[in-house]
Amino acid sequence: MFAIASMNGLVIGVIYALTALGVSLVVGIMNVVNFAHGEFYILAGYFSFLFANALGMPIIAAMGLAVALVFVFGLLVEYTLIRPTYGDDMYSLILTFILSIVLQNAYLFIFGPYPNKPPGWIKGATNIFDLFFYGNQRMAALVAGIAVIVVVFAMIKLTWFGRIIRAASQDRGMAELNGVNTTRLNMLSFGLGCALAAAAGVILAPVFPVTPTAGVPVALTAFVVVVLGGMGSMWGCIIGGLILGLVENLGAAYLSTGYKHVFGFVILIMVLAIRPSGLFGRKEA
Amino acid sequence: MTISLGESRLKSTPKILLCLAGLAVFALLPWTMGVYNQHVLIVCLFYTMMAASWNLLAGYTGQVSFGHAAFAGIGAYVSGILVVKAGLNPWGGVVIGTLCAAAFGFLVGLLCLRMGGIYLSLTTLGFSEILHIVINNEYEITRGTMGLQVPGLIENYSKIAYFYIFLAGALITLAVVYRLVHSNAGLNFRAVQNDERAASALGVDVVRTRLLAFTVSSALAGMAGALYGHYMLLITPHLPSLDQQFLVLSMTVIGGLGSFVGPVIGAFSLEILSEYIRAWGEYHVLVFGLVALFVARFAPKGIVGIYKAWRGKYRAATA
Repeated sequence: MFAIASMNGLVIGVIYALTALGVSLVVGIMNVVNFAHGEFYILAGYFSFLFANALGMPIIAAMGLAVALVFVFGLLVEYTLIRPTYGDDMYSLILTFILSIVLQNAYLFIFGPYPNKPPGWIKGATNIFDLFFYGNQRMAALVAGIAVIVVVFAMIKLTWFGRIIRAASQDRGMAELNGVNTTRLNMLSFGLGCALAAAAGVILAPVFPVTPTAGVPVALTAFVVVVLGGMGSMWGCIIGGLILGLVENLGAAYLSTGYKHVFGFVILIMVLAIRPSGLFGRKEA
Repeated sequence: MTISLGESRLKSTPKILLCLAGLAVFALLPWTMGVYNQHVLIVCLFYTMMAASWNLLAGYTGQVSFGHAAFAGIGAYVSGILVVKAGLNPWGGVVIGTLCAAAFGFLVGLLCLRMGGIYLSLTTLGFSEILHIVINNEYEITRGTMGLQVPGLIENYSKIAYFYIFLAGALITLAVVYRLVHSNAGLNFRAVQNDERAASALGVDVVRTRLLAFTVSSALAGMAGALYGHYMLLITPHLPSLDQQFLVLSMTVIGGLGSFVGPVIGAFSLEILSEYIRAWGEYHVLVFGLVALFVARFAPKGIVGIYKAWRGKYRAATA
């Protein structure tokens, strides 16, 4: 039981880390918390389901197209809704919260309340160290999640665009003085944050089917991970995501399944009480 | 989000008399209408309490709480459970429910208000989800999604009596908000909202100011929720849901964030509108969402803001 719960925790923890990275990126650069993050995650799940099941596209193409479309949608949302609120953090909170409710109800209107699931990538299960059999689909999700995280880290640490992102999240004004077009950077990073949510969505949708409100617990967990890791910290997201995935699954296995998502909240309370800036946060958050 | 000081203060005697006359007419209104319209008025008054107390927090101190509906749920469930399981008098239940909501608000605020606005929003959102999970899991006590049946506040159920109870509740809420906003504490609220660092430098205890606003606002939500539970005679997890939270938020935003009458206008117009489009079923949330998104984007000060801009232009044209 311990082994399988840890394995589940690892898989889900990587996905939490991926979702949290999207939130953290946007917080770090724009100081905006996107409360509709979970709804972007769900949107990608629905897109991949539609393209693969209804249009019969190969699953990889469906996933790629879903992420690309959510990225474009994210750019549009930034352009139409978020951009006018710069300098007023409170209003972006209100706008993204309203957006999340609108999207949830739009999904309900379009797709109905039923769970939808894109086809799996591979079948069967593998024997892990003679301990237990584990579904290949979940193993593939783990590998895909790690791959996307590695790509994101490489982009942030090694490329020109990544350097701009790091500069802007350290000192926005200074980056602007050095010729960074922060308006365009905001738009791109918001889209990128949404695309990361979308990547998590397409990876996890074959394992956990999407429903109109399934994004709420995912987004909440991502927020807890961001606070736990420290606002804007990338390594914090990885460590925080893994901790949260493990705690939730071990808690569900040994304490209570009904309260699975409460454990994350308990962690949030402890972080706020003991070390409010999080594990890797800057002190003056 | 600057607000000129004292703009909504009642200055002259004619204005006060006008308000009192309007109130008197409103208080006689239910005698002229049927049971259904009386119900709509009562629900309007409930949302007035909710929106006005949320506005105290979001509009005057710039703290966005997503747990306002959750605090109403705490008021309702604490009162309901005490009355049903311990045989407490419903009025006593309302008082204890209000106090419990205040206590929870104080604790949540204590935890996250040191860290600035975003943390309050995240924590209250989490708090509201957790409350939902707890209510659904502890169905032996809360009856889960089936709802908890509770007795009414008065022996003989009458809509008119409830109308006056809710009117009193709404007036108490508005009076508390008015008093607080036009006191020294209210000055501190707006100072903190406009420029936290400057306020702090001038000796305003920022954390304590926010904590006061959050606790009072949660207590008022708890009172509204407890009254609502004893009016509907059934408390369901829909009361502390994010959908409810969203309704309260849209009412305040559409009416006018940070203005005294804005939430009242928003509560009445949206509740009456939702009765008209009831035939659309659950999709009225989608419609409200689109309207709220549009208003928040293009007229961030809501109906009151539009009216003020129009009046300003009119005066400029006639002067």
